[in-house]
Amino acid sequence: MKRMKWLALLAVFALVVVACGDDDDDAATTLAAGQFEGEAISVFGAFTSVEGDAVNAVIEAGFNAVTGAEAFYEGSESFEEQIKIRVEGGNPPDVALYPQPGAVVEQAELGNAIALEDLGFDIADLEATFGSYLLSLGEFEGKHYGIPTNVNSKSLVWYNKPVFEAEGYDTPGTLDEWTALADQMLDDGYTPLCIGTGSDAATGWPATDWMEDIMLRTAGADVYDQWVSHEIPFNDPDVLRAGEVFESIWGAEGYVLGGAENIPDVDFRDSPDPMVADPPGCLMHRQASFIVSFFPEGTAVGTDIDLFPFPDIDPGVKGSLIAGELGAVFNDTPAVRAFINDFISVETQCEMGSQEGVQRISPNTGVGTDCYSDPIVGTISGSIVDALKSGGARFDASDLMPSEVGAGSFWTGMNEWMRGTPMAEVFQNIEDSWPTG
Amino acid sequence: MSDAQDTGTKVDDRTDNLPEGVGVRAGLGLVRFLAAVAVPVVAFTALWLTFEWLRNADANRIVIVIVAVLVGVVGIFILYWGMDFTVNRLPESWRESIRPWVFVGPALVILAIFLAYPAINTIYLSFLDARSESFNGLENYGFVFTDAGMLRSIRNTLGWIIVVPTISAAIGLGFAVLVDKLRRGEAVAKSIIFLPMAVSFVGASVVWSFIFDFKIFGAQTGLLNGVWTAFGADPVSWLSQEPWNNLMLMVIMVWMQTGFAMVILSAAIKSVPEDIIEAARIDGASEFQVFWQVVIPSIMSTIVVVMTTMVIGVLKVFDIVFVMTNGETGTEVIAERMIRWFFRNGHNGRGAAIAVVLFLAIIPVMYINVRRFRAEEEIR
Amino acid sequence: MTARVGAPVAAEPGFFKKLWDRWPIKVAVIVIVILWLIPTVGLLVSSFRIKAITEAEGWWTVFSKPFQMSQWTFDHYSSVLDARGFGNAFLNSLAVTIPATVIPITIAAFASYAFSWMEFKGRQILFVIVVGLLVVPLQMALIPLLKLYTSGEFFGIGTPFPHPLNGTYMAVWLAHTGFGLPLAVYLLRNYIGSLPSSIIESARIDGATHFQIFVRLIVPLSVPALASFAIFQFLWVWNDFLVALVFLGGTPDVKVLTQALAELRGQFGQFEHVLPAAAFITMALPLAVFFSLQRYFVRGLTAGSVKG
Repeated sequence: MKRMKWLALLAVFALVVVACGDDDDDAATTLAAGQFEGEAISVFGAFTSVEGDAVNAVIEAGFNAVTGAEAFYEGSESFEEQIKIRVEGGNPPDVALYPQPGAVVEQAELGNAIALEDLGFDIADLEATFGSYLLSLGEFEGKHYGIPTNVNSKSLVWYNKPVFEAEGYDTPGTLDEWTALADQMLDDGYTPLCIGTGSDAATGWPATDWMEDIMLRTAGADVYDQWVSHEIPFNDPDVLRAGEVFESIWGAEGYVLGGAENIPDVDFRDSPDPMVADPPGCLMHRQASFIVSFFPEGTAVGTDIDLFPFPDIDPGVKGSLIAGELGAVFNDTPAVRAFINDFISVETQCEMGSQEGVQRISPNTGVGTDCYSDPIVGTISGSIVDALKSGGARFDASDLMPSEVGAGSFWTGMNEWMRGTPMAEVFQNIEDSWPTG
Repeated sequence: MSDAQDTGTKVDDRTDNLPEGVGVRAGLGLVRFLAAVAVPVVAFTALWLTFEWLRNADANRIVIVIVAVLVGVVGIFILYWGMDFTVNRLPESWRESIRPWVFVGPALVILAIFLAYPAINTIYLSFLDARSESFNGLENYGFVFTDAGMLRSIRNTLGWIIVVPTISAAIGLGFAVLVDKLRRGEAVAKSIIFLPMAVSFVGASVVWSFIFDFKIFGAQTGLLNGVWTAFGADPVSWLSQEPWNNLMLMVIMVWMQTGFAMVILSAAIKSVPEDIIEAARIDGASEFQVFWQVVIPSIMSTIVVVMTTMVIGVLKVFDIVFVMTNGETGTEVIAERMIRWFFRNGHNGRGAAIAVVLFLAIIPVMYINVRRFRAEEEIR
Repeated sequence: MTARVGAPVAAEPGFFKKLWDRWPIKVAVIVIVILWLIPTVGLLVSSFRIKAITEAEGWWTVFSKPFQMSQWTFDHYSSVLDARGFGNAFLNSLAVTIPATVIPITIAAFASYAFSWMEFKGRQILFVIVVGLLVVPLQMALIPLLKLYTSGEFFGIGTPFPHPLNGTYMAVWLAHTGFGLPLAVYLLRNYIGSLPSSIIESARIDGATHFQIFVRLIVPLSVPALASFAIFQFLWVWNDFLVALVFLGGTPDVKVLTQALAELRGQFGQFEHVLPAAAFITMALPLAVFFSLQRYFVRGLTAGSVKG
């Protein structure tokens, strides 16, 4: 009886091996069955819940099932604190998925992270896959340390579609059209915008996204890069100009629901709710793609709410604001190398996009829009892939600046500004907080 | 050596009575030292063996839990018993000078590793730069005492130290006394005050959002604004109203901590000997007088303990501030700054220097405790 | 259990005085209880209400329409209880919490006895240092301790400290023992030190050793103090998230309850509506422990045993 069972198992196993063998012939990466039997690979990142489960499901069904490895993704909401403790405490994960590219470079400087070159990656190949901009974010002393694993789009404006249709509003393509539309809305008795930047211990970050989107469209990508790397001061005229544009959007009386001074006290998760209320409290809301999961239950994107790209400001100056995560590698083993190769492959990334309820967009430009279970995510992914290919995409500046600024004074400065501190003073304070040396 | 001689409870240090002199004294010191070291080593090895078994045994998790409990309860106890057994086999003259180290040794070793070592490490880091790579003198301390946010945090923390322990201890004591006089319902009433202690921090932040929430649109979901707008006023974002927001944060801490004060003080009140209280009553003292002149002096040392613990707890509070206001709108506190600089801004030096300020802040509290400790020993 | 010495304000003072004494007390107790309950009631109501209503109106509106059945739901509780690995996380929490409560109490009780009733050099200064260590923020201890656990190094110097220790229950027990010890020693010494010296002296005259005195006299007499500390330590460890995450990790086999529940929330807090239910589920066991230890907080335990 026992022997029968074993035979049956063996037969199944053989079938699996054969099946995998077939797959391998077409796949770019080749994984041998049972190649890494029992080898644990730890992957650590910031996303949890549905997204974490989805990633683990894909790893389990793909990489682990074939190679026998025990790769596992562990997500923690206190990722930033945890990764510091684990790395400095001498217990780093094999791969860490950092939402802040700056942190990857820091790990490279400290000699903790292993360069992709040393892991046997061909940088030219990777640049072809992800676009050279994303790769450049993890660059230190000529070597690359960050492997892109996820991106999302920030430059999106959501709007109340029924009202737009009923009033005959057109979605604005430029700032001038935006301003005209906002004034029109005011005349028609609507409040144009909902903005809320409250986010517990991270209050202010949604406002930094606004600033960054505006910087990209006024100063352009090159100046944006200089701003990020502090080659120009935080209160450079170009930045001040973007600030003025931003202030013209939220500062004018009646433009923002609840008034400017309350923006930091409105939780960003609740902030789009008035847009879908009846009667609506506001008509437009700018936020990254994940905000869909916070719309009140029963909100249909496409009918109740639709979206348009953040409008252009200066003619000819274009850009697309993205965020995402870069993987840094702390242990070099054959299993880890194989895992990363598999993880970033078109097949695996496509599989992740197809998981239910997942908002993750692949930075792999080979992943098609039809991979995504959610058609809206698919559409957004198309525009991200275009921006990555053309080099017009720029990463969230606050995630690239030193953390004292990017997760500190930049956030709090935005809040002080909206609560009434004059812009010049706020920008000066942020400039002063930039760490020296 | 008779037991009568030992009964003085404060057993004399036997080294002084030995005639043999310096050599023996040094030898004895060595033995004492070895015993103090051996104790935890033996302790550790025993636990380690059990634990190795636990790890290797691919046991059911319920079995692991049971063994874990056995190790905790029985293992530790047998360890002390074994050490005492060994000490009893030592030459008579050494026993009583080694025995205290058997009792106190494991605690000291664990504290040295798990708290003293990190504390010294922190002091060391406070003289290094952001990434702990090179020495930068007193620069971090210069920052601590000049940065505007740091100065506000020191001011606010002083406020917290004064307000929170006082109110918590007062309510905790008052409540403990009151429910003590109830014939029924004491357990239930105490459990309710104790309840917030059982709420995990994530839970507590949700709890208080139901009180302080602020909505610019639609119905209010926070109780304060619910009441406020019912009177026709506009909703207020309570947690950004300086300086009152500090008090509102303190309310959260009081809510969470009073259960601690109440439980400890209640135990102390119940241990005040009934005959003393009865004697005072027979002498014609009112309940009020009994409370102030008999109960309070009897539990004074416990009150000091509770206040000390709460002051230290307040010094270390950061999560309330972090989650509720992010330390903005003038609500910074010292521990919140420490976590922010050490973990979020990644500046080890500044974070460590702020921690050292915390260490220094308790010196006055410890001074009070030392005096108390001495006084207590004298009257015994 | 020794005899309960009865309700304190017993019979004597006469009926009217009793009434006068009791009513203000009851009112005061009820007022404090209500103040303390308000926030929790908000949490309780929200744990049973559907998400749409919790987000759209104040929790207190429930009192105007308690029988509107469409607002009630058990979904939050079932989604918490059905969370992946919930049962395992519960057991892990027990495996962490029980030893991490018992070990520090035992160690602290012995140490407190020594600090109170034994004579040795440096007793006072050691005690003050122990209490002073209360102020060390555990966050500052995590990195050096993790380094010690992974490499056995103190200040970068290798020692025979057994490693690697991280990822094991032992690692968490020891860490919680270290973090809980100062308060344990402080509270227990305060209690044990205040026991009447006559008890210990007479025991010594009867020929008892320190160990016998500790086991037969001190421990039974200190039950209220041991029980109070047990509750606090149990709570802290049970509700701890950070120490377990650092020293045990967050993989499914070792994950504790607080970690499993925190993950339910989602990266941006999409699923925050289940948190009230999660909070009540985590609270259940500590509250049961508190209730079951209540009977040890009785008056007269000390006096009774001493006289007996």
